[in-house]
Amino acid sequence: MNEIFFGALPYVAITVLIVGTAYRYSKDTSTWSTKSSQFLAKSSLKIAGPMFHLGLAMAFGGHVIGILIPKFLTDSAGIDEHLYHIIALAGGIPAGILFFLGFFLLMQRRFGKARMKVNTSTMDGWLYVILFATIATGCFATLLNATGILGDFNYRETISPWFRSLLMFQPDTSLMENVPLIFKCHLLCALTLITIFPFTRLVHCLSFPFEYFGRSHIIYRRK
Amino acid sequence: MKIKAQVAMVMNLDKCIGCHTCSITCKNVWTNREGAEYMYFNNVETKPGIGYPKNWEDQEYWKGGWQVKGGELSLRSGSKIERILKLFYHPQQPEILDYYEPWTYDYETLINSKRKNHQPVARPRSLITQKRMNIKWGPNWEDDLSSGESARQDVNLKKIGEDIALEFHDLFMKYLPRNCNHCLNPACVAACPSGAIYKREEDGVVLVSPDICRGWRHCIPACPYKKVYYNWKTNKAEKCTFCYPRLENGLPTVCTDTCVGRIRYLGILLYDMDAVLDAAKVDDDKNIYPTLLDVIKDPSDPAVQNAARESGISEAVIKSAEISPVYKIIKHWQLALPLHPEYRTLPMVWYIPPLSPIMKKVEDRVYLPNSDAMRIPLSYLASLFSASDTKVIAKTLQRLLDMRTVMRQKEINAAPPKNLEFEILEYEKMYRLLGIAKYADRIKLPAGLQGKSHEELRKLQGSTGYACPLGGCN
Repeated sequence: MNEIFFGALPYVAITVLIVGTAYRYSKDTSTWSTKSSQFLAKSSLKIAGPMFHLGLAMAFGGHVIGILIPKFLTDSAGIDEHLYHIIALAGGIPAGILFFLGFFLLMQRRFGKARMKVNTSTMDGWLYVILFATIATGCFATLLNATGILGDFNYRETISPWFRSLLMFQPDTSLMENVPLIFKCHLLCALTLITIFPFTRLVHCLSFPFEYFGRSHIIYRRK
Repeated sequence: MKIKAQVAMVMNLDKCIGCHTCSITCKNVWTNREGAEYMYFNNVETKPGIGYPKNWEDQEYWKGGWQVKGGELSLRSGSKIERILKLFYHPQQPEILDYYEPWTYDYETLINSKRKNHQPVARPRSLITQKRMNIKWGPNWEDDLSSGESARQDVNLKKIGEDIALEFHDLFMKYLPRNCNHCLNPACVAACPSGAIYKREEDGVVLVSPDICRGWRHCIPACPYKKVYYNWKTNKAEKCTFCYPRLENGLPTVCTDTCVGRIRYLGILLYDMDAVLDAAKVDDDKNIYPTLLDVIKDPSDPAVQNAARESGISEAVIKSAEISPVYKIIKHWQLALPLHPEYRTLPMVWYIPPLSPIMKKVEDRVYLPNSDAMRIPLSYLASLFSASDTKVIAKTLQRLLDMRTVMRQKEINAAPPKNLEFEILEYEKMYRLLGIAKYADRIKLPAGLQGKSHEELRKLQGSTGYACPLGGCN
C-alpha cells in the first residue's frame, strides 16, 4: 500500500500536473484565469483576498524550508531541534491562522452572496472541498505534532527525506511506514490537489506577469 | 518624425439631441450577451450629472489616467510594483453597483396570467442572479434631469464652485455621448500586466486580445473614462472596438452610422508618433491641448506625406487623410476639443462644444450673444474640454457664433460682420460641414485599411479571403 501511495502516486500526480497544464495552455487559454469576482462582490473581498494569499505564500514558504533543507544543514548551522521548532511555529502558526481564516471568509463570501453563486462552477466546488481538506489536515497535523501528542515523531527525519528521495527518482517508501495517519492524509490531499490543479482556476498562479516589469508602457501591434 | 495613421471621431454636441440611438445600436451589435449586459461601449450622459459608471470623472477616487511627477509620466494608479500588490484586492476597482445591476422583466406573466381582478404586472428580474430585484439605478438614471439628486455631485460643477449654477433660473443641460477615445497614450494599455491590450498600428484602434487577457482588470481603474469593462461571465476585459471589422471595409462605426442628429464625423488623422510622449508630459495641464494639436500633422504637406509613406502607410490612407473632415474640424478650424485633456491620455474622440440659449440677464434684443453670455457657464465647459482654460472654450464658441452670424448676414443680404478670424469662404465651408454635410462628407474612410480599393475588394467577393496551401479555395 505504501508503495502505491507514496512511491507511484506522487509521480502520477506530477505527470498529470505537467502534461495537463501544458495541454490546457496549448489548447485553449480563454479560460486561463482565476475568474475574479471582485466585480460582483467588492467589500467582502477586501480583507479575505489578501489574507488568504498571504497565508498561502507563508505556508508554501514554510513547506519549502521544512522539506527541501536537510536536517544536517540546519544542525551544522547551530540550530538545534528546539530552536528549529520555535522558528517553524513562529512562522507556521500565523500562516495557518491567516490561511484558514482567509479561506473561511472567502467561502462565506462565495456561498453567502447571491451574485457570487452564479459564477461558481462544479469544479470550483470540488476544488474548495479538497483545498479545505488539505488546509484542515495540515493545520491539525501541525497542532498534534507541536503539542507532543504524536510522541517523538519528526517529519524532518521521515517525510522530508522521503520527498527528496522522490526528487531523485529513487523513492524510499520505507521512510513513510511509521508516519502518523494525519500526515498521510495531508499528503494524499495535497497529491489530489496537485492532480486536479491543471483543470481548476488555480492555474492563475502560473500567470504571474513577470514580463510586465520589463515592458514599455504602450504596445503597438499590427493586424 | 514617425508618422502614424489614426481613425479619429468628432462629435458636434450642438446637434446631439440625447436620443440614445448610438447607445442602443451599439448595444445590439456588441454587448447583448451574458456577462456584458451592463456594458455600454457607447453611452449618452446628461451633464451636469455623475454619469456612467457613477462619478467616473472623480479621479481623486478612481486614480485613472496619467500624472507628471518630476517631469516623468506615470500612471496615477501607482508604480508597477504597487499595482501588482493590488492583484488580490484592488481598492479602485469599480463593482457592478457602480454601474447598475442589469435587469429584465417577467414579460411572460403578462401572457400566462390567470384571469384576475387586476392587470398582471411584469416585475423586474436581475440578469445576473435571475432573482426578483428592486431597480435602484440604471445606465441613464437621471437622463434629462440636470437638477436631479445626483447632478450636484458632478465633479465639474464642484470644480467651478458655482452653487448658483443649479438655481432654477440658471439651470442648464447638455448631452455628452461617450465611447472609447482610442487614445494616443492609452492608460489601459500601459496598465495591463498581461500585455493583452494594444494599439493597432494601422488605424490606432485600441483593442483587447482576449486570448492574452487573464482578467487582472488593471485596465479598468487605469482608464480615466471608465471605458474598459469586465465581463463577469468570461472574466475578460471588453471595450469599444471602434467597430474595426467595419472600419477595415471603409464603413463607419455603428454609432456614427446610426446617429440621428448626424453629429458624428469620422476620418483619418496623421500624427507624429515620436512627439506623443512629450505632449503627454507637458508641465501645465492647459498646455496639453495646444501641444496635442502640434502632434497632429498637416496631411497635405508633402514632407508629412513622404514620412507617412516611409512608415508604410498606404496611398489610400494618405489620400483619405487629405480629405479628412475631422482634420478640418480639429486642426484647421480648431472647433473640436478633447474630453478631459488633463487625464493625459491624448484622446482621439473630439467634441465641438455646444452653443446654448442666451442667459436671461442678457438683453432680449440681442440676436446672438457673445460666448460668455450663454446659459452653460464657460467654466463648466472648460472643466470638461480644456483643463479649465475658459479662453479656449470662448474662442471655440466664438468661431461657431461667427459662422452663424456670417450665414445670417448672407441670408438677409446684409454686410458681413467685422473682425472675423477667417475668410468668409471658410465660414461657408464650416457651415456646410457642420450644418448640412451628407453621410459621405461626414465620413471619409479609406476603402479597406489594408489599402485595397473597392474594386479590389469586389474581386474578392465569393472567395474565401485567404489562399489555401493546397489551392482550390477560390
